[in-house]
Amino acid sequence: MSRLVRRLGSRLRTVGELLAHAARRQKLFLIPLLLVLLAGAVLLLLSGGLSYVAPFVYTLF
Amino acid sequence: MAAVLGVSAQYHDAAAALVVDGRVVAAVQEERLTRRKGDPSLPREAMRACLRLGGIEAGALDRVVFYENPYAKLERVVNGALRAFPTAIGLFPRAVGSQLGGKIWVLDALAETLDVPRARVVPSEHHLTHAASAFYASPYPRAAVLTVDGAGEELSTAIWRGDEGGLALVEGIALPDSLGLLYAALTAWLGFEVNDGEYKVMGLAAFGQPRFRDELARVVRLDGDGGFSLDEKYFAHEHDAELGFSGELERLLGPRRAAGRAWDLDGSAEDRRYADVAASLQAALEEALVGLARRARARTGLDALCLAGGVALNCVAVSRVAREAGFERLFVQPAAGDAGGALGAALVGARDLGDPRPAPQTTTALGEPVDEAEAAELAAALGLRAAPSDDPDREIAARLARGEVVGVVRGRFEFGPRALGQRSLLALPRDAATRERLNRVVKRREPFRPFAPAVAAEATERLFEGGPPDDLTPFMTSVRPVRPEARARLAAVTHVDGTARLQTVGEGGALAGILAAVEREAGLPVVLNTSLNGAGEPIVGGALDALGFLLSHAVDAVVVESLVVTR
Repeated sequence: MSRLVRRLGSRLRTVGELLAHAARRQKLFLIPLLLVLLAGAVLLLLSGGLSYVAPFVYTLF
Repeated sequence: MAAVLGVSAQYHDAAAALVVDGRVVAAVQEERLTRRKGDPSLPREAMRACLRLGGIEAGALDRVVFYENPYAKLERVVNGALRAFPTAIGLFPRAVGSQLGGKIWVLDALAETLDVPRARVVPSEHHLTHAASAFYASPYPRAAVLTVDGAGEELSTAIWRGDEGGLALVEGIALPDSLGLLYAALTAWLGFEVNDGEYKVMGLAAFGQPRFRDELARVVRLDGDGGFSLDEKYFAHEHDAELGFSGELERLLGPRRAAGRAWDLDGSAEDRRYADVAASLQAALEEALVGLARRARARTGLDALCLAGGVALNCVAVSRVAREAGFERLFVQPAAGDAGGALGAALVGARDLGDPRPAPQTTTALGEPVDEAEAAELAAALGLRAAPSDDPDREIAARLARGEVVGVVRGRFEFGPRALGQRSLLALPRDAATRERLNRVVKRREPFRPFAPAVAAEATERLFEGGPPDDLTPFMTSVRPVRPEARARLAAVTHVDGTARLQTVGEGGALAGILAAVEREAGLPVVLNTSLNGAGEPIVGGALDALGFLLSHAVDAVVVESLVVTR
């Protein structure tokens, strides 16, 4: 249970750092877009779509 | 005083590095342990190895530093995709998906893997960690620093000022302008694998004439003041992840070369044309790099230059910078690619926590040691002949003098792409046929690929032009012309343009004893030194890899510390 709480805390910290980054860069308008994309990413993860690898995906993304 | 673990991962060549109380204790590429070349995954094995070598538990780490900022990276990917809309629509979901579905959580993954509090895991910046890996490892108290690669968070190129106060960004060039991506796109056009074939392009360039300079000048424009820009119409980075170049580039330079087709530079006019394009690309890169270096000198007013980033692995271009950019001294981080970012991240973290700079880097032997007893046990189990030698240097030299090719496995394995005597494959440098044998039979690679010499430092000026050993030559990060009168005796290590990517070995160097013995046996303190790996394999790590190499490749012996192993 404590491990789960720690993991959750860790993820929240990352979300917080992402928001802080967006605020620092004055890009808060990106947050709604990122939330939608995050949902899409979960779908991609579930569908195994992230196994796709190509040379410039490696390099750039 | 602190213990800091630096980590690079996710793109290519993941690595970890441990700095304790300002001293570089260990640095390990994940590929050496997982045996997957260029392994980009979270470097679990490398992190464990660093902690083992440092004799500390993960819980004792004061900080874990990731080599770039995942949030800034995400921002750049989203911005790039929006900028390239609608052409990038096909790539957009996967590009952003790979960020949000995996890469953005890397700091969490590190905390969980190491079982350390998440608050101790922090991001750094891609080009800052490259700069740190070069400057803090250099022998210079103050230096201009130039970092050049494919892509960081936003920057592809940066000029820094390094001094007692640390590193300060002077200026940068952002994507999509990138010399690394220029070279990568042409690497793909020439039919080589991106992130692996760039060395091949550099080797191929020496066989061509730069007669496509005008065409390349349209692809990469130099502004005469050290800046450069790419004409985006020739590239497809933002909407085609496979190629990186567009149909416009093929209209300009001709159709791409089919991947995997055998090269015939003697008989095929078409292949010679591809070599001419490679030569033109190399010339364009060199001119851009010299311009950047001159700009770095003008902006900082300093006499020493440090280089890092994948483009700094182009030793031919580095040598031109050394000759033409006006710096008195030059140092290239031997692990200039992304693996070196782990070292830079650890050094940035250590400096942030108040630790001093490390002593200047004198070795790349920062990995795990080989276990001779394990090699003896494995040899017995595999039915190989193995016998300890009282004088392994003499034994190796005698074998080389007989024309044998010998693998040498000693001490801790190297950090970075060069084998510098710890995991090396050695031969006499005399006969061109040796190069053919190694390229075609042992390493199974393109026949135009050159091999490098390791030379006793005191013999450098006798055999090579360009003066005495400098800060580049111990690490094989530059090329020198071979003296014309020495070329016949160094035929296997003299490239078609008369140069060699030499390694100078000083007193106490890993190969010093072997070179002295080779001089007694064969007259010259020089050996051909290439990495102990076959095509598509990471360089040998431990005893099992070493004996596996002996069994699967046409070499005559592998010497593990003092144990001589043959079939």
